[in-house]
Amino acid sequence: MNIIGIVLFPPIAFVIGIFFIGLSRRIMARIQWRYGPPIIQPIIDIIKLFSQRSVSHGIIFGLGIILSLAGSIVVVLFLPLGKICPISNSGGLLVIFYLMLLMPLGAALSGGEAANPNTSIGISRKLILALGYEVPLLLILLAVMTYYKTISIIEIVTIQQSMGWSLVSLPLLLSGIAYLFILPAIMGVRPFELIKAPQEISSGPIVEYGGNFLALTTIEHALSLFIGIALFVNLFLGGGGIGSISLQLESLLTSAGLGCIVSFLTGIVFFIKMLVVFVIVILINAVYPRLRVEQAIKYLWKWPTLFAFIGLVIVLIIRR
Amino acid sequence: MSLQLILIIAFSGAFITYLLGKLSHRVRDYFAVLVSCALVVIIALFYGKSVGKTFYLVFLDLPLFLELNTLSWFFAITIAVMGVLSIIFSLSYIKGKERTDFYYLMMLLVNASMLGIVLSGDLVSFYIFWEIMSWSTFLLISYNRGPALAAGMKYIIMSVIGSAAMLIGILSLYTTCGTLIISEIAVNITSASSGYILFILISFVIGFGIKSAIVPLHTWLPYAHSEAPSPFSAVLSGILIKMGTYGFLLIMYVVIGLKAFLELGSGLLNFHYILCWLGAITIVIPTFIALLQNDAKKLLAWHSIGQIGYIILGISFGMSLSVAGGIFHIFNHATFKALLFLTVGAVEYRTNGVRDLNSLGGLIKKMPVVFIGALVGAFGLIGIPLTNGFVSKWLIYKSLILQGQPFLAFFALIGTWGTILSLYKFLHNIFLGQLPEKYKNIKKAPFSMQFPIIIFSLIIILFGILPGIPLRVVNTIVTSFGFESLNVNLWGIASETGALNTVNIFAAIIVAGIIVWLIFKAGRKAVSVAQDDNYAAGAYVPPDKYHYTVDFYNPLYRMISPFLRDFVDKFYTKLAGWTRNLCSGVRRLYTGDVGNYVIYIVLFLALLIFIQLNWSIW
Repeated sequence: MNIIGIVLFPPIAFVIGIFFIGLSRRIMARIQWRYGPPIIQPIIDIIKLFSQRSVSHGIIFGLGIILSLAGSIVVVLFLPLGKICPISNSGGLLVIFYLMLLMPLGAALSGGEAANPNTSIGISRKLILALGYEVPLLLILLAVMTYYKTISIIEIVTIQQSMGWSLVSLPLLLSGIAYLFILPAIMGVRPFELIKAPQEISSGPIVEYGGNFLALTTIEHALSLFIGIALFVNLFLGGGGIGSISLQLESLLTSAGLGCIVSFLTGIVFFIKMLVVFVIVILINAVYPRLRVEQAIKYLWKWPTLFAFIGLVIVLIIRR
Repeated sequence: MSLQLILIIAFSGAFITYLLGKLSHRVRDYFAVLVSCALVVIIALFYGKSVGKTFYLVFLDLPLFLELNTLSWFFAITIAVMGVLSIIFSLSYIKGKERTDFYYLMMLLVNASMLGIVLSGDLVSFYIFWEIMSWSTFLLISYNRGPALAAGMKYIIMSVIGSAAMLIGILSLYTTCGTLIISEIAVNITSASSGYILFILISFVIGFGIKSAIVPLHTWLPYAHSEAPSPFSAVLSGILIKMGTYGFLLIMYVVIGLKAFLELGSGLLNFHYILCWLGAITIVIPTFIALLQNDAKKLLAWHSIGQIGYIILGISFGMSLSVAGGIFHIFNHATFKALLFLTVGAVEYRTNGVRDLNSLGGLIKKMPVVFIGALVGAFGLIGIPLTNGFVSKWLIYKSLILQGQPFLAFFALIGTWGTILSLYKFLHNIFLGQLPEKYKNIKKAPFSMQFPIIIFSLIIILFGILPGIPLRVVNTIVTSFGFESLNVNLWGIASETGALNTVNIFAAIIVAGIIVWLIFKAGRKAVSVAQDDNYAAGAYVPPDKYHYTVDFYNPLYRMISPFLRDFVDKFYTKLAGWTRNLCSGVRRLYTGDVGNYVIYIVLFLALLIFIQLNWSIW
């Protein structure tokens, strides 16, 4: 069961992520009164890119991307998707937090080798933005871990099945709202699109990539979309569960020897939750212009941080 | 085999090396490496043993003792390994410079005195070795003269103040307990009042805090670390400042004891709680100051202060997980920070002393091994999984979160981001990007520099994948302090509230990496292009400096730099200025005229007579 999970997980995450990318282009097109490309366009692009010519600036130029993509695959393995959770008991949220560093670091090392100022400016913005949203994000994660008194993400999901979603439980409400505020920044969409900023620094970190480099970057982008939303769904929307009804249904089905149907159902529920969150973020993306770096940091360190801080204080008072 | 042997070899080896240098430089180099290797072997032989009080000398009618337990063994082996690798690195680094004999003497003397400190069984020998260490360090910091002399002066003044505070503590302990043997003080002090324990702790915290550079006492460190010769910066940052943390462990958990230490004070004003917050501040502010630095060694030096914060936070939090994390981090920080200083040393060696981050670049093509070393060191410092830094930080975070201290954990975690930003800048500006025209013909680092870099990298990765090896030793230390034992296995920690399994993580990353690499290989092979063959969106690509490195995080600098001035340093400088003015005022009394002195004596006698007539004291 575990092995199947490990083998199946990254492809599932990739498919979901790439579907989201295609869907986002479709939604954006509809909002702008266009038809837009077919939903499978990103997959066509990836296949095409693998057959195209590319240039390399050195060994790290390629290794960095490999590191970044490998890092995101491992993070995917650590996130429970519904009932399936391959190796998430090897260190908990703290390991996820640290493994998530491999993605920006790998990409940054690879881009640094390129010696293109557009790349370096993009990376510098990427790291600054990450520092910006990491302040509220850490406060939120700590509030969740303190409230549930565990660092294991599986336990957080399990507890939510009996206690209800974190987002609607009163002590974690403010933290959840703060998370919603910073979600566009984590996913790098407008108003926080300053890393790529195509009109300004010609797509920033990925400007030097072509061919299979660009293909791997697109795969990595799909996975990081999945990770960003899946983490939120796991921590605040109860993972694959739908409350106490699901628990009864689950015990019923498991006793009837239909354990895999339960896994499948929770996976579907998980996907629907992710879809809702993603569409909300894309709608925000559609209506906002791009912020400057300073404006982005000022925003992130003002309201979301304040909310997350108060949320953490509330959790502390309740847990004393 | 006895403990005296270690100290005899260490000290006599230092002086013999100096004398051999007068004969032949080559023999001296071999002998210095031999002595430091011998120390590693001998100390390694003591693994798992503990030697009780060994009498070796009488000083001022006080018997002096040596002692070895797991705690001191742990430090001793770290010192010895650091010693041998820094000496090997020095072979080519220092070659051709002046006063090399003196350099080796001082390097070995610092090592010997540090061994003396950790092997001391009583506070007198502890203090004597401590002073030998302080003074030989001073001579090495100011080895390069010029600005190094000022840095050394700053160091020694603060160090003397620290020693004085410590001496007060030692003397007071002697009058109260009637003995200076550490194990006997630990027994006698249990009857002391909590006020007295607080006094002892504060005096020692000042002494050790200056050496390990906790935030209000840190100001000597950035200058000393950046001005010292690079191999010595590695020793300085790697193990010398850890002597302060050794002192902390000694005084908190061996002398005063776990229970008395944790119960000192009440509520939010608990002593260990205040120390934890001091540690948290020590993490955040210096780490973000490091972000603003443009000098490679100064950047690393500020990070040394930041990492000391993690150690202090871990050991003073007083839970078995956090203390284990803190002690393990002492060793880990020694490995990766020494590695980083050595890589800067290698770059400095090949570029004739350039360590300005704005003028380097592209050196990965010329020094690949040094780059890999720097990368591993940077990953360790950040705490990426599969490096030992991750394991120790994980232990600290976990115990902070589970004990309901999320704010302390927040400070520790946000320090990680400061580390990432500045270390990426470090790697990017030195090794990645454009190779400047003047470094086109640079050679790769000599083998004697690559060897320590490779060894340190291997240690970091080995103990990151199999942290159980060092954690067993750490666990013995932690249990000897009276904490509950940890459930250590080879791949990490087993526990109910979230286990750690580094081997799983390692396997996952390796397999994922291979799969991605295969996918990557499936595409068309990339064509290698020159560094200036860039896509510039139609703009002209100039042949020379085109890359963006200067002011790398400019928008962030503008936002945070007003908050990150070193106010403490300014205050100390002002204080030093006032003291100088006061002293030069006092000096005016000494006019050199005999007549004036006679007047002083007469006035003084008159004062005495006046007092006697009025109040008849005598």
